[in-house]
Amino acid sequence: MFSKKKTISQLVEEWQYDEELKQNIVAMHTIEEKQAQYAQFPSSLHPSIVKALHGRGIHQLYIHQRQAYDFAEQQKNFTAITPTASGKSYCYHLPVLQKILEDPSSRAIYLFPTKALAQDQKSDLNELIELMEEDILSYTYDGDTAPGIRQKIRKAGHIVMTNPDMLHSGILPHHTKWVSLFENLKYIVIDELHTYKGVFGSHVAHVIRRLLRICEFYGSKPIFICTSATIKNPKELAESLTNSKHELIEKSGAPVGKKTFIFYNPPIVHPTFGVRRSAVLEVRDISKRLFEAGIQTIIFAKSRVRVEMLVTYLKSLTSKKIMDESIQGYRGGYLPSERREIEKGLRSGSIQMVVSTNALELGVDIGQLQACIMTGYPGNIASAWQQAGRAGRRQDEALIVYVAQSTALDQYVVQNPSYLLGSSPEEARINPENILILMEHLKCAAFELPFSMDDSYGEFEIQELLAYLEDEGVLVRTSTKWHWMSDRFPAHEISLRSAAQENVVIIDISTPANTKVIGEMDTYSAMTLLHEEAIYLHQGLQFQVEKLDWEEKKAFVREVDVDYFTDANLAVELKVLSEDKSAPFKNATVSFGDVSILAIPTIFKKIRFNTHDNIGSGPISIPPMEMHTNATWMSFELPNDWTEEQLTDALTGAAYAMGSFIPLFIHCDRSDVSVVPQVKAVHNEKPTLFIYDSYPGGIGLSERVYDILLSLLERTAQHVTNCPCQQGCPSCIGAQDSIGESKKQVLKVLDILISEMM
Amino acid sequence: MSYENKLLQMKKLLGKKTGQKQEKPTFIKPDPPFYSEQWQQAGLKWIENEFGMLFKREVHYSLDYKHGDYRLGELFNALKRWKYEADDHPFAIDEQETIVFFDTETTGLKGAGTHIFLLGFLQFDEEEEQFTLTQYVLSDPSNEVAFLFESKLWQKDATIVSYNGKSFDWPQLQVRWTLNKQHLPPLKTQRQIDLLHSSKRLWKDDLSRMKLTQVEQDKLGFYRKGDIPGHLAPIIYFDAIKSGNAETLMKVLLHNEWDLLSLITLYIHSTNLLFDAISTESATTYTNIGKWFGDLKKQQTSAEILQEVTKHFNAEETGYAHFYLAYELKRVGEVKLAIESFQSALPTITREKKLLAYEQLAILYEHQLKDYEQAMVFSEKGLELLQQISFIKETQLLNKQRNWHKRLGRLDNKMNKNNSNKD
Repeated sequence: MFSKKKTISQLVEEWQYDEELKQNIVAMHTIEEKQAQYAQFPSSLHPSIVKALHGRGIHQLYIHQRQAYDFAEQQKNFTAITPTASGKSYCYHLPVLQKILEDPSSRAIYLFPTKALAQDQKSDLNELIELMEEDILSYTYDGDTAPGIRQKIRKAGHIVMTNPDMLHSGILPHHTKWVSLFENLKYIVIDELHTYKGVFGSHVAHVIRRLLRICEFYGSKPIFICTSATIKNPKELAESLTNSKHELIEKSGAPVGKKTFIFYNPPIVHPTFGVRRSAVLEVRDISKRLFEAGIQTIIFAKSRVRVEMLVTYLKSLTSKKIMDESIQGYRGGYLPSERREIEKGLRSGSIQMVVSTNALELGVDIGQLQACIMTGYPGNIASAWQQAGRAGRRQDEALIVYVAQSTALDQYVVQNPSYLLGSSPEEARINPENILILMEHLKCAAFELPFSMDDSYGEFEIQELLAYLEDEGVLVRTSTKWHWMSDRFPAHEISLRSAAQENVVIIDISTPANTKVIGEMDTYSAMTLLHEEAIYLHQGLQFQVEKLDWEEKKAFVREVDVDYFTDANLAVELKVLSEDKSAPFKNATVSFGDVSILAIPTIFKKIRFNTHDNIGSGPISIPPMEMHTNATWMSFELPNDWTEEQLTDALTGAAYAMGSFIPLFIHCDRSDVSVVPQVKAVHNEKPTLFIYDSYPGGIGLSERVYDILLSLLERTAQHVTNCPCQQGCPSCIGAQDSIGESKKQVLKVLDILISEMM
Repeated sequence: MSYENKLLQMKKLLGKKTGQKQEKPTFIKPDPPFYSEQWQQAGLKWIENEFGMLFKREVHYSLDYKHGDYRLGELFNALKRWKYEADDHPFAIDEQETIVFFDTETTGLKGAGTHIFLLGFLQFDEEEEQFTLTQYVLSDPSNEVAFLFESKLWQKDATIVSYNGKSFDWPQLQVRWTLNKQHLPPLKTQRQIDLLHSSKRLWKDDLSRMKLTQVEQDKLGFYRKGDIPGHLAPIIYFDAIKSGNAETLMKVLLHNEWDLLSLITLYIHSTNLLFDAISTESATTYTNIGKWFGDLKKQQTSAEILQEVTKHFNAEETGYAHFYLAYELKRVGEVKLAIESFQSALPTITREKKLLAYEQLAILYEHQLKDYEQAMVFSEKGLELLQQISFIKETQLLNKQRNWHKRLGRLDNKMNKNNSNKD
């Protein structure tokens, strides 16, 4: 058999003449390579560091690395925007190592969003230190750290690499065991800053406020160094996360290789309903071509289910070979050991194709991949560039294929390539003011150190909150201070990763003598993914949920082989609790405030693979979940002649379309914000659209929507008008069951709202 | 040392002191809590020092004071026995040492938010020839510096005897000390003797739980009446500082007092057990003692005790004594006796230990007695037992199986060779 291996340029040329492919390629765009911009080594740079850099063949710095060094030398906090493969780690390694060489008692904390990233960076840093031939100790400190070495890390580790979760529950509550770290802490490095958004980011903002409080107690004043992928508001995010002023380094001096972007839109298979062929199936076919051409490729899919579906499809490419591991899945929910194996395989090349959720967007070092396929728009520009950056690290030529799904946002992006290629990325929002999150961390802070009668916490005035905690019975007030007085350990009562605190453990009972845990999932996702009879996919294997023990948070699954997957629905009820802001218009009102939401899982559907036919359904028996959160809502009057049914359809369509476009304005996932219509809202009996944060207490997203509502409505209306479908389709107002006037009515609703607000 | 050198050394000291001349943060003495009066009425004494105030309770006991089965004065007999019989044992205390029996009560289990609210010390007062219990009570968390300072743990040299103090009370004290280190002189490092550790050695497999109250009832003849369970202590303290009512808190002090008295009698009882001839305790306890001496490299003492156990108790009770004794016999070259002991052990020991015994028997028969047939018999038994065992990991199991097969193969060869030689 002859080799079918091809280069990327050969492949791209071939595709342009391929009858089947070329009609679906909406646009092709090449970004030419960019030359590096260099700066000299700083004159103060320690000879040992210079020696180590020379050892790595580095004789000058990129301009952003030099700028980083200079800010650090001036004792200024700073945030550097660093694209993939721009040598970002030198932005913090150099100042930190320099400081330790100048004063060996100095300490630094490196904070990575995950354990995996910390471990990856540790090997890199230790290599560098070895080249320096200096006695500098750097360790990872996380759940995997052996008890025997912990003592040494606490006392002697110059650089402690950890994650926010460990800092939160393993280090801060035990700060007295870390005296030498906290007394001498010079730098706090926050890598992958852009990942600290939403609920997680809001929690981490508090972990950092607690950290600073402890540093102050021990008399240290650390400098923050943050690195971030491209987002619209890195400085604002860094300042809000660390509650400190930051300088910004925007311009990267790193060279970039040639990148070819292909915008691919699956063909319309049902013109009346505007139904396009499934993006997953298209990705399967494109991946097959890349696989056969021998190109190492990463495929991103948005959900765990999609990842598993693609793995199932693609593994059939190698099913004839025994023990072939060249195609793998990779996502949250796999066990750490499984993930480490896959990362290794990618670096060594034994894995040629990996299908991933955004878990691999982060800086895990998997070496150079040649191509990247995005199954659908990842939801925001920052993520899209992170994913694209996975292909062609260093100066290699790279191919990025964006395959649009039929959602409104995806269709918008595929039809407006300049949006992705040209415009500025979204904002990342956190909301440290979320009172639920604030109170939880205030408890932790009080546990760690007592508050005095005139103390504040971060930027917050907290004396009244402390009095509340006294009433709750966890604090006691003495003549001078508020002290923690409870046998509880508050850090264990919060999980930073999800507002819903408990995870559901997934247990495989296929072999009764050998039941094992194969993964876990947050409770909110579990409502729709782990209900009884759901098909759960793990490493391409199908499992059916046999029993869901909701009390104990355990799902018992058994391996099955079926030709369908399952898809579940949630029904939502909304109540307004309080109104904080309100803007009245002639016949409409826009408000922002607190709402209560009742989520009730209703039914699930069984959908056949490949054809995606609905082949059955059943009820879900999980108790409803209640949540208090923030929302922006708009109530309005409509012409009297609309039937209730018309009204429902129009509002549902408008909500669907609007929901899709929120991520165009705010850095969040489509699922972080929900848009729910109520034909007669409980509080005022008027037609109302609710836009709420999908997390208890809210994370500031819907509050932002309050400000941009008019632009959102305009963008939505424009897209629905331009959509080529006749009666509405998944790309604009959602799939329509019958041929009717829905699309016109949605536009009418949107127009009424826009003219009210103008 | 030359004059110059002396000067140079002093210069270093000078340098350090000037370098350390940091300004201590000014300390503002906190007010006494509102319930100071009430707590005094409940029986506590008001103590004030430069850092604030605390409460104290003191109780004295004569040497004849009986706590359970023992009089406190018997402690001195115990110390003498250590001196003459095993002064290098890790639990031996020299008469010169200042012995302080120590126990705390806390508001939680870990972390910087867990307070110590009661420091209990029990020690012998030479002048008055009596034992004195001193309990310091944290008046409120703001007065913590006063409370810690008063303990004098920064000043005195002592041997701290505790129950689980090595891994709990002392580290927790270090946490509190670190939190207040701006104001306090450094905490001294003291010798720690943890009687939980010795109790585990003595009563492993004999007592189901190692809680101090359990040990008291089963071994020390002390039964508590009206005791507060230890886990309620935090809530009782919270209540006392919130309500000002210290009545129930006094019961926690009593609980702590009993704990401390039991530490003395536990130390006496443990000492006697180690050095007395076999009397009332179980075969398991004495076997544990024999094994402990063995692990401390006092093999002769170990062998003597184990020997005694095998004579003194029924066969069903002495499996483990035989088992450990067999190793001892093997070590001194008593091959036949070792084999006998291993065989006597077999019927009553766990499968895990049985597997080891089979292995030893196979080794002894093969290498010492060159009796390959018997070696074969025990190897086969070992392999058979291995198949039934479920407690080891798969990789280990495979490893072990491989070793047994290797042994069998070798024995087979040796036997064939012997046979052919005979032919």
